[in-house]
Formats: sequence, structure tokens, C-alpha cells
Amino acid sequence: MNRRMLLLVLAGAAAVFAADPLPSAESVLDRYVQVTGGKQAYEKRKTEIAHGTLEYASIGIKGSITRYAAEPDKYYAALDIEGLGKVEMGINGQVAWENSALLGPRVKTGLERAGAIREGSMNSTLNWRKLYPKVENAGIETIDGEECYKVVMTPGEGQPLIGYYQKKSGLQVKVTTVSSTQMGDIPVELIASDYKDFGGILEPAKVIQKAGPQEFTMTLESVEVNPVIPPERFALPADVRKLVDKAEAK
Amino acid sequence: MPARRLILLVAAGVAAFGQAASRLDLDSFEKVWTTVRDKHWQSKPGGLDWQAIHDEYRPRVEKAASHDEARAVMQEMLGRLHQSHFAIIPAPVYSVLDDEEGGPGVTGIDARVLDGQAVVTSVDPGSPAEKQGVRPGWQIQRAGGKELKPIIDQALSNPAVHELQLTRAVLARLSGAIGGTLDAAFLDGSGKTIDLSLNLTPPRGAISAFGNLPAQHVWFESKRIESTAYVRFNLFLDLPRVMAGFQQTVDNCKPCDGLIIDLRGNPGGIGGMAMGMAGFLVDKPNQRLGTMYLRDSTLNFVVNPRADVLSAPVAVLVDGCSASTSEIFAGGLKDLGRARIFGTRTAAAALPSAFERLPNGDGFQYAVANYISQGGQPLEGLGVTPDATVELTRGALLAGHDPVVDAAIDWIKTDSISIRRQKQP
Repeated sequence: MNRRMLLLVLAGAAAVFAADPLPSAESVLDRYVQVTGGKQAYEKRKTEIAHGTLEYASIGIKGSITRYAAEPDKYYAALDIEGLGKVEMGINGQVAWENSALLGPRVKTGLERAGAIREGSMNSTLNWRKLYPKVENAGIETIDGEECYKVVMTPGEGQPLIGYYQKKSGLQVKVTTVSSTQMGDIPVELIASDYKDFGGILEPAKVIQKAGPQEFTMTLESVEVNPVIPPERFALPADVRKLVDKAEAK
Repeated sequence: MPARRLILLVAAGVAAFGQAASRLDLDSFEKVWTTVRDKHWQSKPGGLDWQAIHDEYRPRVEKAASHDEARAVMQEMLGRLHQSHFAIIPAPVYSVLDDEEGGPGVTGIDARVLDGQAVVTSVDPGSPAEKQGVRPGWQIQRAGGKELKPIIDQALSNPAVHELQLTRAVLARLSGAIGGTLDAAFLDGSGKTIDLSLNLTPPRGAISAFGNLPAQHVWFESKRIESTAYVRFNLFLDLPRVMAGFQQTVDNCKPCDGLIIDLRGNPGGIGGMAMGMAGFLVDKPNQRLGTMYLRDSTLNFVVNPRADVLSAPVAVLVDGCSASTSEIFAGGLKDLGRARIFGTRTAAAALPSAFERLPNGDGFQYAVANYISQGGQPLEGLGVTPDATVELTRGALLAGHDPVVDAAIDWIKTDSISIRRQKQP
């Protein structure tokens, strides 16, 4: 009798655990698409212009950012940072580049280029299957008192990205990765919060980014949905064009 | 009875003073130890078990009979790191260096300590000092009613004090409130003492703000010396103006015999500007000036070659007051074989090392990162050693010469002729 009782208890415990299995990474990522607006809302978005601000609070520096994007792989961003001047970066489908008053023009190569193309890809939230061939739910972690699924997303090239998605809301609240930059591999942590509806898609209005010794806060203020963006916006700047031509001539 | 009571009170007071001094030393020890624990670029500072170091040294500070003994224990603890720029500076010396009597107003004099004496090395054009006839090479004997020699001697008595700190201490005594005056005594070239009352005006250059840093006056000058371009700026700040000026100088140097970049007295600024400027001078891709090691990341100071790079010889001038970004720039270009360095060894302060006053009044210097120049040498503590060591002398300054510039021009002329000969069929 006692043995039967024990078996029943064990079976009951197993049933309790089986009732809440870890969802697949795919379902967590698809749910994120769903809770932020749904597939259709993303598919409707062909172009966008986003405006926001940057603040490096610890060193007292502020700036503005304007980001242009067009399907499938066109991207241009201009940052104007107090004391450092203008920083431009873009992807024209092939070339990933950056041009700043500080460092001058340059063309991104290797893993840095691959990472820039992934991050600059329009609707990357929807298109995670194309960008990350391997995804895995690595378990549950608590962030700010909320249980989150920890999803490891591995791209074709480059370091994995770990996204943390709240079990309750399905929203992504944190991302960690190691970013391949020209200056080296830098640990990056993004804390996303204050989700707001920008033209039918929920996006975090506040993102705190810690990258190596730097920490700054990006605030998304507005998003123009499907504006007409002239193709020249995504053309290579003259200084970058010269570098590309010089490299090709060699 | 009253006398006995008085003795007891005095004894109690002495005991209280003794206790207070000991507590201040212990507080200082804890500040030094925790600062290294929290801010050192290695999570295990110097490869040591830092907690064990605490447990070893704290009892010795507790038992120390004097400030000097406590300081020696702390200095010994820092010595276990076997790393430069970790030092305890005795309160009297720190007070000399940390003079707060100065102000934003200046006379237009730049000075260095040469052979143990403060000597005028340059005078800003149009400044009060120039208007009153102050000349390079004059010895500064007294400023603001204080003799400079004893201050210099006291600072030089401590090996932890570097030229950069000493020069700053001297220059602080040549400053004051804008609109005020500074009484100073000089020894001119003929040995005659000249007493002057110099007006204090805002420093040369345009005010530039960068984040929480106090606003700084930044100046940039560019000129031609015969067929050689010459550029000098006091800080790696005011990025838009200084970078644009540097680019303009480089563009104007096509063609020219060579380019002199004078970083003497330049204490650094925005580190990235070293990489940006090097991009105008280095043609080969994937080159680095060096690598900075922080606790959680490693940063390569990469050079992005511009589309149109200067090929003429480059000379970089440095001295003991060239620090931080200046050293990263000069050391990197030297290691890459792109520039020849003239002058004297740099400040050996490439890192964001900081000075803080400890609870017991001593100064504490510590570094928060390590920087290795492309040639494999750390700049911190070693600095950039010039290819050609050329020292300023009072005699040369009095004769109207700058021997460092002269040496660079001679080399550029020789090198340019050599390059031109090689290019000839």
C-alpha cells in the first residue's frame, strides 16, 4: 500500500512538472512578435524613420539620433553627440560603413560587418529565423522580480545573442552579447523598458546600453511609418565611396 | 588639584589626538585597498589574492606608531602590485602639488623646470606677459609673493612626483583670478632681476565643453617653417575644430618636406582623436597604435587610413608634460615606424590614473587600466622615449632658439632629400 502511495505521489509530482514544460525558443520568439504587434503589423512596415535621444549620464554627454530603414537591408543612422560631433553609419545592402568626426570614414569588414547587417536589418524582430539559424531556450532567470525565458540565438557568423523574455508579458527585457567591433570584442548588455506603441508595433522607448566601460540611455521618441525615403539616403557618402574604390583598385 | 586636572586633560587630549591619527591612517588604508580592489584593471590585482593582502597589511597599519610608518606600510602594499602609478604621496608634498591658490586667469607664460629652476619656455602672443616684455629663457624666481625654488626642491625630493605634476604646480602659481594681477620676479638673460605686475586674463583659445569635464580653453595653431608644416594644439579636445584644423594642415602639406606635430605640454584629452589623426598619416590598413586593457574589456586603438594619406616624413615633439592621448599618439606612430620622436621622455601617464586625497591628508595615485603600445611596451610608468633626445636649455631659449624644433627640421630636410633621391629614376 505504502509503495503504491509513493508511486502515486511520484506520478503526481511528475504531472505537476510536466504541466509547465519549458517552451521552445521558437515559440518564445514568435510570441514576442505577436505581443509587440503581430506578423501583419511588421509585414506592413516597409520603411521607417525613427527619432530619439542618447545620454551618457556618467560623463554628462547628450546627443540625438535619427535612423532611417527600408526593406530588406537598407539602413542609415546619424548621431549628433555633444563634443564629439556627427557619427553616421549605414548599410546599402552590401557595404556596412561608418563615418565620424572622430575617426573618419571606414568600411566594416568580417564579423563586424555581419553584425551590423543583422542589427540594421529592417524588421529583424519578425525575421529572426533568417538571422539566427540556431535558437535554444536555455531556461528561466529572474530579472527585476519577473521570471524570464533565456533564449540563446546563434547567428551564422558571430557571437550568440542572449535575449530575456518575460514569462508573463512575452516582452524582451534584456539582451546580452559580445559585439565584434573594430576596437575588439566588447561585452554588451541592453536593458529594454517602457514599451510603447509606435505605429502599430510595441517598441521599448527606453534602452540602457552597457558596452565595456560605457553606459548610455537611448530614448525612442517617434517613429514615422512607411515614409518615402529617397534612395540617395542610403547611398555611400563620398568619403566612404573613395575608400571602397581605393580597396577595389588594390 | 587644578594642576593635576589640567595634566589629565592634556594627557586625554594627546591620547585623543593619537587615536584620531591612527583612525585616519586606518581609514586611508581601507580607501587605498578598496580602490585597488574595485578599480584596478585586473579583477585579481597584480595576480594577487587582494583579500589576503588586506589581512596581511591591516594589522601592520593598526600597529603603526606614526603617520610615516603607516604610509610606508601602505606604500609597501602597493609595491606588491609591481605596477607603476600606484603611490602614496606625503601630505606636505601633495599640498605643494595640489595648490588651490591658482585660478583661471593667466599671464600668458608657459614654463618648465630646467635644472631645478622655473624657466619661461614660451609667451603667448598678445598676452600680458608679452606686452610687458617677458621673454623665453627668463628664470621665474617669485610669483604671488612666493619663492618658487623651495617649492620645486620639495617636489623634486619625492621620486613619485613627475615633471607633469611639478610643471602644473609651477603654472598654478602663475595664475589667479581673471582681472587681477600677479606680482612676479624674473631673472633675465643678463642676470638682472626684473619685477613685474602682470595682468591676469582668460587663457588663450576658445572655451570648449565636453560632458562633465570643466570647460577648457583650447587653442590650435598651424604654420609653415620654410617647407615644413608645423601644428600645435594644447589639448585633444574641441574635436570638430581641432580635427578640422589638423586635416587642413595635412591637406596643405601636400606637397611639403614634412610635418611637425608639437605635443609638448599637451596632457591629452579624447583618446579616440589619436586614432582619428593617425588615419591621416598611416596608409596601411589594420594597424593599431596600441591596446588598452580594462577590467571587462580590451580596446584596440585602431587606425583607419583615410582615402588620401600624407606620405611626407612626420616628426612628433614631446616632453615630460606630454601625457595620455599625446603618448598614445606619439608612441603608436613611433612603433608603427611612421614618425620620429624628438624631445624628452613623456609623462608616462597614458592611463586614466587619478589622484585623490586620503583621509590622513596624503595623496594617493592609482591607475584603472593598462595600455600597451604597438611595440609591446606599456606606456604607463615608462612613457615614450624619443628617437632623438633633445632637451630645452635656458641658453637656447634666451638665444631665441627652440632646439627641439630645430632638430626636427634638420631631420625632415635630410629625410625629404633622401626620399626624393629614392624616387628619382
